Amino acid sequence: MITKKKLIDFELDVKKIYEKGLIKGPIHLSGNNENELIKIFKSIKKNDWVISNWRNHYHALLHGIPIRILRKKILDGKSMSINSKKYKFYSSSIVSGGIPIGVGLGMALKRKKSKSKVFIFLGDMAYETGIFHEAYKYVKNFKLPVKFIVEDNGLSTNTPTKKAWGKLSKIKKDIRYYKYKRIFPHHGTGSWVLF
Amino acid sequence: MINLKKNKGLKYKSELIRSMNYLSKNKNVIFLGQSVSYSGNAIFNTLKDIPEDKKIELPVFEELQMGMSIGLALEGFIPITCYPRFDFLLLAMNQLVNHLDKIRVMSDLDFKPKVIIRTSVGSKKPLNGGPQHTQNYTSIFKKILTEVEVVYLSDPDLIYSTFKKALNRRDNKSSLIIENGDFYNVK
Repeated sequence: MITKKKLIDFELDVKKIYEKGLIKGPIHLSGNNENELIKIFKSIKKNDWVISNWRNHYHALLHGIPIRILRKKILDGKSMSINSKKYKFYSSSIVSGGIPIGVGLGMALKRKKSKSKVFIFLGDMAYETGIFHEAYKYVKNFKLPVKFIVEDNGLSTNTPTKKAWGKLSKIKKDIRYYKYKRIFPHHGTGSWVLF
Repeated sequence: MINLKKNKGLKYKSELIRSMNYLSKNKNVIFLGQSVSYSGNAIFNTLKDIPEDKKIELPVFEELQMGMSIGLALEGFIPITCYPRFDFLLLAMNQLVNHLDKIRVMSDLDFKPKVIIRTSVGSKKPLNGGPQHTQNYTSIFKKILTEVEVVYLSDPDLIYSTFKKALNRRDNKSSLIIENGDFYNVK
């Protein structure tokens, strides 16, 4: 599996290229959650599906998408839509957008009696959405091979989730959850870039 | 089977039934939605011959249903995803427009899920369902969808070929096939 150093170096490399104005699309850098993700990905197998979102670079690398392939996609301005059939990786840049698709993949795997699973990564704001709760209920009631992982950085773009909702929902016991503090801005690198 | 004499030569419904029976012969096809296994709308009446193990009765969660259909298709199934009325399909717009319609382009044609969406313009006769149950949004969907093919079934003679094409198309594109509840009784 890819190391913590390689993950960090990858994002720093992307940051450098972005700041040169060479990437013509938004980037959402990951950082400060390497330890948690490395641990989580130990239980995700090659044939499992991973459903990600706009902040997907670490998920993609940890699920086996080679550095050169991911790097090229990002350089092509496609950071927000990293998709691969070969590596069973889908990302949507709409909040909660990948969740229903992950549920359908889970239904398919169950009907085929496959041993593979679906791992859906979602943020703290997505966790509060109605569609997540529909999906969670359905997956649980029909025992679909779908696991949810909540990555809580407290923010939705730059809006504090707790402030906007007034109160946060309790994290359900069967949901994998971790909290971290973002070290990069929501998108970009924090530097002024001339494109 | 439909007795044509008894039904005064009407064939809109019988052609839909013939099409559904044809689709169900494909081992990857699966029917899902609300009222696919239980009565309550016109679409149900065309699925009576379909074996129960090929149908998934779903709760009312239109958006989740559309996303599920995409997920099933990504794993090789061909979902016939049924929305009893066009008005209800509006609830699935995010998954339809932002996901199904964009996934081919966003994945550089790596993902080509084939989903067949079936919906119906609600009938106005003998009872008029009113503004929330009878709208025909075909022209709007033709404009908003760039990759999903939109077909309005007005000619009963084209029903079977439309579904046959939707199932077998080599480019694996998805289809939105719209019927009209009033045509069941006049064509």
